[in-house]
Amino acid sequence: MRVGIGVSIELDYIKAAKEAVEKAKISINAPNIDFALLFTTLEFSHPLVLQTTARLIGPIPLLGASSTSIISSLGPLRHGLMLILFSLGEGAYFNAACVKDIAVKTAFAAGEELGEKLLYGCKDVHRNLSVVFSSTDTAGSSNLVTGMQEKLGSSFPLVGGSLPKAAEHQENSVYCGSELLNDAACGILWGGKLNFGLGIEHGWQPLGKPRQITRAGLDTVNEIDGVAAVNLYKEYFAKEIPELKRELKRISVFYPLGIAVSEKKEYLLRSVSSIKNDGSLIFRGETPEGRSIRLMISSKEACLSSARQAAQTAMNNLRGKKVKFALVLNSSSRYALLGRLAGQEIKIVQAALGEEVPLAGIYTSAEQAPLASTNYSNLGKSYFHNNSIVVLAIAE
Amino acid sequence: MLIFLIYALTTIPLSLMLIYKMKGMDQLRAQTDKLKKSLDDMDEQAKLIVRTDMELNKIQEELDKKISGLYAIQKLSHIISMTLEEEQIFKRIQPEYLGELGFEKAFGFLWDDEKKQFTLRFSIGYAEEEIKPIASFMNSNKERCANFIMGERTLSSISASNNLISPEQLNEVFKVSSFIISPLAPQQVNKGLIFAGTQNIETQVTEGDEELLKILATQLAQSLENARLFEKIWRSQQELEKKVSERTRELTTALEEVKKISENKTNFVSSVSHELRTPLTSIKGYAAILLTGKLGDLPKEVHERLEKINRHSDELVHMVNELLDISRIESGKVAMRTEICGLKEIAAKVEDLLAGQLKERKLYLNIGINPEANSVLADCTQIERVLINLIGNAMKFTPPEGKITIRSLKTDKMVQVDVIDTGCGIPEEAHQAIFDEFYRVDNTINQEVKGTGLGLALVKHIIEAHSGKIWVTSAPGAGSTFSFALPAVT
Repeated sequence: MRVGIGVSIELDYIKAAKEAVEKAKISINAPNIDFALLFTTLEFSHPLVLQTTARLIGPIPLLGASSTSIISSLGPLRHGLMLILFSLGEGAYFNAACVKDIAVKTAFAAGEELGEKLLYGCKDVHRNLSVVFSSTDTAGSSNLVTGMQEKLGSSFPLVGGSLPKAAEHQENSVYCGSELLNDAACGILWGGKLNFGLGIEHGWQPLGKPRQITRAGLDTVNEIDGVAAVNLYKEYFAKEIPELKRELKRISVFYPLGIAVSEKKEYLLRSVSSIKNDGSLIFRGETPEGRSIRLMISSKEACLSSARQAAQTAMNNLRGKKVKFALVLNSSSRYALLGRLAGQEIKIVQAALGEEVPLAGIYTSAEQAPLASTNYSNLGKSYFHNNSIVVLAIAE
Repeated sequence: MLIFLIYALTTIPLSLMLIYKMKGMDQLRAQTDKLKKSLDDMDEQAKLIVRTDMELNKIQEELDKKISGLYAIQKLSHIISMTLEEEQIFKRIQPEYLGELGFEKAFGFLWDDEKKQFTLRFSIGYAEEEIKPIASFMNSNKERCANFIMGERTLSSISASNNLISPEQLNEVFKVSSFIISPLAPQQVNKGLIFAGTQNIETQVTEGDEELLKILATQLAQSLENARLFEKIWRSQQELEKKVSERTRELTTALEEVKKISENKTNFVSSVSHELRTPLTSIKGYAAILLTGKLGDLPKEVHERLEKINRHSDELVHMVNELLDISRIESGKVAMRTEICGLKEIAAKVEDLLAGQLKERKLYLNIGINPEANSVLADCTQIERVLINLIGNAMKFTPPEGKITIRSLKTDKMVQVDVIDTGCGIPEEAHQAIFDEFYRVDNTINQEVKGTGLGLALVKHIIEAHSGKIWVTSAPGAGSTFSFALPAVT
């Protein structure tokens, strides 16, 4: 497998696309290109970028996504675009697909549709991994993963990212060919000769006493320990709802809730996306009723250390195989928490993978990956994560 | 009874067990309560930790932001202060610096006093079609914008009233959710404003951000002022250079004309001198033949007149020769054959040559050539001629028993030769003119002593042809010192 990456920070859409394609082609130096991934920052989420890129790379599948920032070997890029070209080796297969109108179809049905499309033509092939990007604000969007698992298998390795928005009026998009799609998802299914190593960490620790979700639905928690969910934050921060709403961004980044995962000493993080006036909390991901939860806390050091751990785990899972490409899906909350050290996190990942490894990625609002990623043979079911970093190292 | 006994035997231990168990339960309950209390205490501590952590995070965030912002401002200030071109100043505001300040969109407008409108000077993060509505907004709200600029206050989405920019305008026209706007050079003619904003709803503008943009605006205003001053100075300099160039051209033309006139004069003098010399030679020849008496004895009166003709012819020949020499040197026809000349030898030769006349006039010649200032790079014959002329002149104007001194000294890369006499001296106003052709100082001696008025002019031409210079220091009654400097042998 060969991978070529081209980055551009040109302001002009067409010039930027041209530059990225040119650089990626030079970097891959391969006669046949099988498919392409395009990551852009929000201002480059423009039809001209897609049309130019699609025209220049020719008739090959082009998928991608836009975000507030993208990740290159040099660190986070707040303005720019990045094209990753893949030339798969012999015996490796892939399929690419998209699903639109998730809100209309429901996240679960859209997940099933995407899973079905990805399986098309790959049913008799040994399937390895699926990578998915979604741009939807639909309630219960974590069901997209459940829907896909319905078709691909509940323990099938599935890695993905939901895309963040910079502003309420701004749309986040996924790319499918030369189409720019909102409220949609796109995915790739890899099969055949392919090895990968996966690492996922968040670096948050539980604090305070455990509590229980006593009334909830999809990604809304109505009550915790029998009282309005918001009381938990009111108690901890000694602030009323209006103040909490003003501080929501900070609370969401620094103090998510951790859902205890049964039989595993792991916590699935859930960061608050909004506070309703009735005291309910909306989270980025499903919050099942009856689950034990705790307030979580982290620090910059713990965050950086977890990034190192995720990259090392991904490398360990590859058992010495040479990494051809690394995909990083990193929570935008971590970017906010780390502030000036956000670049250092990427450097740590790059150093753990090896300086020569081509690295690309995107900042996400939620990440999809299995829990027990340390054991390749027991990857397990994929979950919706928040505030986490996913490092996917791909080898032949 | 037996039943009662059995009942008692079974109930008593059971009761005892129950009592024991209840005690255990009480203990367990007490322990649970204790644990619960510990957990609650721990939770209370956790609350304190979380609140402190949040405050620390806020401070840290603000500090990080300030450090990044200050770093970006420092870099930006340095970069914009490196240029004195207005266009370049704005071009140097690059997206990466803006990003470090926490913004991805920015623009700057300056008031164009000629067009009476705000003109866009730079924009970052806006497409062309996005900036047009902003320019329209600026110019359809000129008064509001001018008032804001003159208010000299930096405002932001946290401090500005909706009258300045409404939330709808913010989204629809300016395409941002948070912004900072700062006046630019409010006291100057080309005043304007700078705007920075972000679409990121997670970015919260702070007072610190306002301060940073204010610093940037001040720096920009300073750089713009510097650029304007530089342009003003540059334009003045250009005008001055133009004037100097015009004057130089005029002077060059005038000089060319003077050179041409001088050349014509030289040619004329040369031609006339040549034309004069031929008949003069004949006159002198015939006078000499007649004086020999070969053509017959001459009456005494005729002899006397012939001698006068002969003497005057000699003077005329001498004058013509000097004129010819001057014109040759002026026209560059006489090349100076430079070689190492010993001043002592030349002076001695001149002394020998003039010894008779010196004796006749009862004048004392003192030669004081400094051995360290003896060698000069010159045409020895011409330098001998210079000394003959200068000593000849000194002899003319120095009364009997007077003293003439020749001395030399070394100055820098030149050798200076002084010819000092104890003669009548020259008034200051004639110090320059005596080196002009045919100029003679108006004094009694000059009225008595004949001269061509060409000797010093010839000397000056010879010295200048050696890249040297000549001057005189003198005052009436105090004698004269004629000095000339020639390149020394290094």
